[in-house]
Amino acid sequence: MLRRAVLQTFRQGLAQSFFKRNAVSLSETTVTHQTVETSDEGGEKFVSTQKTGDESGNTVIVAPPEFRFMYPEFLPDPAMETRNRLKEKLERMDMLQRRSVIEIPEFYTGSVMAVTVSDANSPNKFARFVGICIQRGGSGLRAWFILRNVVEKQGVEILYEMYCPLIQKIEVLRLERRLDESLLYLRDALPEYSTFPLDMEPERRLNNLVVPINPLKVKLRPRPWLERWERQNLQGVEDLNLPQRFYDKAEKVAKPWEKYDLMLHYRKTIPAEEQEKIFAEVQSQLQQQELKRKMRRRRGSDNEQ
Amino acid sequence: MLSIVFHKRRRLVRRLFFNHEQIRTMSRVKRRTTHPPYWHVLKNVQRGDEKISSDNLRFVREVIQDKYKNKSPIKGSDLDIEKTEWDPKTKRSGVIARNIGVQHMWEKDGKKVICTVLHVLDNHVIRYVPPEEYAKSIIGAKVFRNRKPLGCLVVGAEAANPDRFTKQYCSLFNEVGLLPKKRLARFIVTPNAALPPCTPLTAGHFVIGQAVDVYGKTIDYGFQGVVKRWGFKGGPASHGATKFHRRGGTIGTGRDKARVWPGQKMPGHMGSEKRFCRGLKIVRINMKYNVIYVKGTVPGPTNSIVQIFDTLLPRRKFTEAPPHPTYFPPEDGTLPQEDIWDSNLHVFGSPSISV
Repeated sequence: MLRRAVLQTFRQGLAQSFFKRNAVSLSETTVTHQTVETSDEGGEKFVSTQKTGDESGNTVIVAPPEFRFMYPEFLPDPAMETRNRLKEKLERMDMLQRRSVIEIPEFYTGSVMAVTVSDANSPNKFARFVGICIQRGGSGLRAWFILRNVVEKQGVEILYEMYCPLIQKIEVLRLERRLDESLLYLRDALPEYSTFPLDMEPERRLNNLVVPINPLKVKLRPRPWLERWERQNLQGVEDLNLPQRFYDKAEKVAKPWEKYDLMLHYRKTIPAEEQEKIFAEVQSQLQQQELKRKMRRRRGSDNEQ
Repeated sequence: MLSIVFHKRRRLVRRLFFNHEQIRTMSRVKRRTTHPPYWHVLKNVQRGDEKISSDNLRFVREVIQDKYKNKSPIKGSDLDIEKTEWDPKTKRSGVIARNIGVQHMWEKDGKKVICTVLHVLDNHVIRYVPPEEYAKSIIGAKVFRNRKPLGCLVVGAEAANPDRFTKQYCSLFNEVGLLPKKRLARFIVTPNAALPPCTPLTAGHFVIGQAVDVYGKTIDYGFQGVVKRWGFKGGPASHGATKFHRRGGTIGTGRDKARVWPGQKMPGHMGSEKRFCRGLKIVRINMKYNVIYVKGTVPGPTNSIVQIFDTLLPRRKFTEAPPHPTYFPPEDGTLPQEDIWDSNLHVFGSPSISV
């Protein structure tokens, strides 16, 4: 993730895409962008492709910058030793094939989701689990996410592989973000923060343009904890109320110089130019799939009426 | 666990009496070298600081283009290949490929399968050496000392700019009229599977569901300690162990032979050795991109070159005739199916699995 990208071009897009869906410009120098946004009667958003003009005047299709937050698994693993362009391209084709069969919606860490999986040992042959997404990772067909819930006072976490063909349905019941990228601290938090009713209904969002950030600060149980949360700069937890020695030790162990280490961040991320190329390759198909689904849903609602 | 030591001359298999017993024998054979054999021609040009003007560079490129453009490789249908019959004892050619990574796929019952993606490079047959001639060469004499001799196909992959190679190396390709290849390999074939020079070898050479052996150089781990290299247990991490956590311990008794036996397992260089992975099943072939998906893993890191052969495991050999001697596109111009999947594998575009 390009969270601390120092590139001038992306910082602008980053700030805008965190709070607004329609990013106005990717860079201020030569390229000009026009975002065409049309909203339907249902208030659903449709962002068309951004067409940019480069120096020669030919139009080049560029995916909107929020694609790297909506579809982070399309970006390959940044480790250079194991990268191969052909293999990544073939993997992306397979991912799009799978996405044409099942809708894998946009979700973030902190969203409440329900996943239906085909299970031979279940009474109905299908098992549905509702939970909050505490972590997501992996790239390509290995992309995964973990859902957490507390069922009959027992905390349960399930890791789902997004492209596994056993998954029948992925629904996002509440689409929101939290203040942290990883909510593993919910394991040490009071159980009410991880409890969600298993028959939860999908919630309609008031504003479809913006993904809300839930500024909830979670209360942790008293120590011992699974990890040293005081060393991790968590934004989404309440004041830990630890003795001062913990914070002193955290300061000693901290690496504050890492935020200035350009090469470290460069090696951990895919360069912006390559990201643009990757998403330009897949975005037309992704948008076609989204359109088809919307038509199907509208036809479905019309039939009901 | 039974440990088997392979020598180049003979196989030594000894039953062990207890788990941690080692096989310590005379093993003076050098495991790896960094230089090619003395009879290889020098390949790469030692370039100094060449100050060629851009005009001259352009001229050199034009010369190369002129030299190679008229002699294009002959397409498969134009070659006069004798229609030979396939029989179970036939040994077909192999193929040079690059291991481009690992992809996870799923079977029809939902089981996950780790598949290695092998990209078959632009292989062309350079030369066929008939059995009698090959048996006279240095390697051939060794291989066929007590056996009936077989022929040898020299296959090249990855065409490159002739500028970077020496004249002697480029001369290997002059007869054929191909751009010099970066990689060469020899495949032992029976005479009925011989191919004329300039024949392209593609992913279609293989069949879905067949077993292949993949031969490559393993990952180079460098100088490694005894725990990683030989799987020793080392010592206790705590309980007062003084400086004995990842060491080997004793290296011999005082009694028999009263010295360290040759072959004693010790730290040293690990990896970067040519090894086989046998019996890997082909689960998917992409004819458009010349890519094979093989179930399991192959020796070597990502982006390394490997050789793929039909397996020699007796129970997994062919029962029906494969594309013999190799795959040729159909003469009526119909394109082959682009993406061929094994019947057991779940195709990504098909509906989700209900167990």
